Amino acid sequence: MNIAGYKIKFEKKAGFSGLEAAVISIIAVLAALFLVGFIFLQAGVDPAKGYAEIFSYAFLNSFGVPLTLNRAIFLLLCTYAFILPMRAGLWNVGMAGQLYVGAMAAFGVAYAFGARTNPDLPAGIVLPLMILAAIAGGGLMGFIPGLLKGKFNTNEIVVTMMLNFIAFWVTAHMIKDGGPFMGSGGEGEGFKLPESLQPGLFLGMPFTIWFAIGLAALLQFLFTKTRIGYEIRSFGASPAAARYAGVDPFRISVLVFVAGGMIAGLAGYHYFGTVPGLFKIPKNYGDFGDLAFYGMICGLIARGNPLASIPLAILFGGLTSGGRFVQGKLQLGFGIDYAMLGVLMIILVAFQFFFRYKIVFKKEKEA
Amino acid sequence: MWEFWVRSLSASTIFSVAALGEIIGQRAGILNVGVEGAMLFGATISFIVAKVTGNYLLGFLAGIAVGALIGLLHAFFSVTLGGDQVVNGMGIWILGFGLTAYIGYPYTGPLGLPRIPAIGGLSPFFFVSLALAVGIWFFLFKTHPGLKLRSVGENPSVAEVSGINVVRTRYASVMFSGALMGFAGAIYALDYNPVWNYNFLMGWGFIALALVFFSMWNPFLLVGGSILFGALWQVSLNPEALLPNVFSRYIWRTFPFVITILVLVIMSTKWFSSRWGAAKPEALGLPFEK
Repeated sequence: MNIAGYKIKFEKKAGFSGLEAAVISIIAVLAALFLVGFIFLQAGVDPAKGYAEIFSYAFLNSFGVPLTLNRAIFLLLCTYAFILPMRAGLWNVGMAGQLYVGAMAAFGVAYAFGARTNPDLPAGIVLPLMILAAIAGGGLMGFIPGLLKGKFNTNEIVVTMMLNFIAFWVTAHMIKDGGPFMGSGGEGEGFKLPESLQPGLFLGMPFTIWFAIGLAALLQFLFTKTRIGYEIRSFGASPAAARYAGVDPFRISVLVFVAGGMIAGLAGYHYFGTVPGLFKIPKNYGDFGDLAFYGMICGLIARGNPLASIPLAILFGGLTSGGRFVQGKLQLGFGIDYAMLGVLMIILVAFQFFFRYKIVFKKEKEA
Repeated sequence: MWEFWVRSLSASTIFSVAALGEIIGQRAGILNVGVEGAMLFGATISFIVAKVTGNYLLGFLAGIAVGALIGLLHAFFSVTLGGDQVVNGMGIWILGFGLTAYIGYPYTGPLGLPRIPAIGGLSPFFFVSLALAVGIWFFLFKTHPGLKLRSVGENPSVAEVSGINVVRTRYASVMFSGALMGFAGAIYALDYNPVWNYNFLMGWGFIALALVFFSMWNPFLLVGGSILFGALWQVSLNPEALLPNVFSRYIWRTFPFVITILVLVIMSTKWFSSRWGAAKPEALGLPFEK
């Protein structure tokens, strides 16, 4: 291709620096937001005004900020559930199913202690058990694709997707049509936790933020400083070479999927168990499963880096909470946050190219 | 009972048309895990066009065309840019899932057109899907261009040296494959269940993808598998006719997904793959560079 006397060529890259990766990722996000601007235009809204509304609601409004934060914690946990397998070259698209099961396990503990009828429960005992149950439930759900991948090399994308649908319907069974977790209102949603099991806020934030921050540090340490982290990364880079070097594929695949599932289970507890106004498995629990796919986008943009995922989770937490808000305020159609999800993902896919090729401009020689 | 089989065969039609599309793409070496995304696009666009114009034919054509465009996008990412085909396919799926939720929302609700006439209660598209299966089998295994297409999926370097244009073949196959997925989505939205709702497919595309693995890339086995899953899907929707009061209706809905996992596991065991595993296209999922 020739433009203004320059010859443009694509050359294969040997690798890229962290800074280069960050620049490409930021450009990708900006390009996606630019394209979403056309959706605003088509709906008759000035994109600049649309984004100004989204960001001011998400990051400055006293109703919007807690919503953004709750979503950011949720997305960060979903991102971590995705990147653990991702670093090993495996696809966990089952965050939705894992978080439903985590939430069901946590509410199952409350149910077992009689939370539906008894308002005074010892929070010091029941709350930790609920958290542990959520982690165990999610982990168990992650164990299935991990085991099948490790033992039979079964396609983990199909298995985790199938498990999403299975968990979706099991949740419906639990909270609807007289299921054991059904609330007293008869509206097809789960029972509400009694006040004694509603954890308070710390500086306006659910305490689960500490899990998210702790996991960021832990995963960063795991990937950069430990032997098992190195094994995960080398298996992701080249399964055959890693196997030759003595890495056990079965162990790696079970480990990353169980750990990923545990984190996703925690995400389920976080949203349904600690966010004010919920404290129950809501009717629209499926929306939260859909939201979990933003975790996949965060993980892909951050290229599996736990620390780089943090600002992304905050950004997408804000975009989705603000997106829902402008929908009502500017009379956009439903689902601008879903449209954004789709556009972000496809732009990201297109930008994968720039991680493998660089553009070279060469001055054409005078003939 | 007749009613049950008629509904099952109609459901199986959607699985087989989408999965036949995926077979064509995979036989040329391109994996598209975004079947569900292409189907959502086909379903949503065909539904909107048919609802606005009141014309079924235009609806189907629009669904097929948008499917082909999605195929073109996947081919561009996977053949020209040479990226990871799984990542690209996930991109297609999330794009379809996200964008159709937004585009289709104002059209939520029933289509409001007279139903497409059935033949003895059976959807006419069932016969179309059978014809497609025969046609695709004949094309792949009995014609020269079909042989070329398969050779591109088995060993693209050798195919290229022997004078086959790998890039062009793969583009054509993936676009045709996308068109069939769009068509399958259109059959769902215009014939099987003409009511638009956000993300209404709920896993049909992923089951179609799994069916391709089950079929060992053979169109006839695929149709058999589709009929099995169509029946399974129908049982999961109306279990009371068969086994009343065993599970709640929600638990029944998990059955097709549970069976998919079980069959997939059996297919991936050593015992199975050492006997029947050779059908998998050798170069499936690998980018080709000259």
